[in-house]
Amino acid sequence: MSTGNLIEMRGVRKAFRFFTLEDLTLDLAPGQIMGFVGPNGAGKSTTIRLMLGMLGADAGEIRLLGSPMPEAQALAKRDVGFVSDTMRLFPQASLGWHLSFVASIYPRWDSAYAAQLVKRFNLRLEQTVRGLSSGEHAKAALLLALARRPRLLVLDEPTAGLDPVARHEVLTELMDVLRDESRSILFSSHNTVDVERISDTITFLDRGRIVESRDKEQFLDAWRRIQLRVPPGSTLPELPNIVNRIDDGQFTTLTTNGFTESVLPLLGERVREVQRMSLEEIFVATVMHHRETRS
Amino acid sequence: MSLVTRKLIAKELFVNRWFIAGGMFSGIVSVLIATLGRAGFNVGALMWMTTIIAMGVMLAIYGVMNERKEQSLQFVLGLPLSIAEYVRAKLVGLLLCYLIPWAVSSVAAIVLIVTTGVPDGLLPYTVLLCVFLLTNFALVLCGVLHAKTESVVAGAVVVTNMFVSLYMFVIASVPGLGDHMQDPVPAWNRAVFTILAIELCMLAVALVLPLLVAARRRDFL
Repeated sequence: MSTGNLIEMRGVRKAFRFFTLEDLTLDLAPGQIMGFVGPNGAGKSTTIRLMLGMLGADAGEIRLLGSPMPEAQALAKRDVGFVSDTMRLFPQASLGWHLSFVASIYPRWDSAYAAQLVKRFNLRLEQTVRGLSSGEHAKAALLLALARRPRLLVLDEPTAGLDPVARHEVLTELMDVLRDESRSILFSSHNTVDVERISDTITFLDRGRIVESRDKEQFLDAWRRIQLRVPPGSTLPELPNIVNRIDDGQFTTLTTNGFTESVLPLLGERVREVQRMSLEEIFVATVMHHRETRS
Repeated sequence: MSLVTRKLIAKELFVNRWFIAGGMFSGIVSVLIATLGRAGFNVGALMWMTTIIAMGVMLAIYGVMNERKEQSLQFVLGLPLSIAEYVRAKLVGLLLCYLIPWAVSSVAAIVLIVTTGVPDGLLPYTVLLCVFLLTNFALVLCGVLHAKTESVVAGAVVVTNMFVSLYMFVIASVPGLGDHMQDPVPAWNRAVFTILAIELCMLAVALVLPLLVAARRRDFL
């Protein structure tokens, strides 16, 4: 199956008692930054755990940096930096101890960069993890992942629970990392503002299924909200790619996921406004449309 | 043994260093108390037993369950290692953490019997008890490494602790062992070696089982 992509998932299935991840197919190319977006409980963390070999799939195939998972996870994870909002470092040990511990495992550990990050994140090496605030803990975990200079960064809600300042610091550091074009990132979040800021590809996950996966610009270009004034007795022509329609008296709002300028002449003078949609609005509309279609 | 496994074993020794030091200290102090007459012997023996049992339970619970509960396990499993290597590192690491205070406490107890007025006939019983307590720890560790819920762990701890009292009672009444405990010379007879062999077999099973079962689990979180 190997295609040179850093993450390859084909037809992956994982069933739990009350939740199933179904037919998951996902690719992450070198240099790509994928925003992995889904509501709480969509299966983002489970997908990442499958990817990293912490869980075994019931069906399908997973390759991480070309290595089959979970069989070759020890090899594959040499080049992966993983950070999760629920992950905790060893509470009894200091940050300095953690740096030495991780440095002794990864041959490409960049001590100078680690020292720079300690300073930039305003962390203290002698402080034990137990005494770190949640923002400091998130930054410490990110530091430990970044300074090993991995080819792939897997970030599972790294900014969840952070105050705006800490979130800004973490995202700024990530933007810095993105300048290295050979580095790939999978960034899972339900915060679409963060995802929109750093990702170039977006994948939406809902109720254990991938509902959309596209280039971010394609997403933003394809989705529009068209506000119309429809006089009484007038009917609208049949239009393709309409995922939602709301009628309010003479006013109608159409949401489309395949907008082209050629649609506007068909609607004529009824068009009052064409609005671009934010990623958050697109995400909500995609999920709702997917749920309606399935039900 | 891979580099990550070795580092994780060293990590266990580091994070549990105060447990190890406390266990050694308590083991030695309890033996010293046991030299202070008959009442001292009883208090010291009770303290010695409590130290060795509590060390085992705390190491297993803090070392395995808390790592899982506090989500440090995610950090460890994000490192370049397999589930099998994690289980091996945990098993060897925690076993070493236990072996150090266990060995110090066991040697101290043996020295007490050999060098003081305590009858040397108690020596086989003490050796068997020390090996049993080591086996008991290995069984708790085996249970904790396989358990997925805290209630199973609590059950394993309660059952293995109940076995300690039962064991002491049963062993003391074994012919060829209990009837020589007050003798001035230790009786290293067939009964002693049979019980020792059974204990060592149980120890081997408890240490090998996680490598065969828990290490092959596909879902570890």
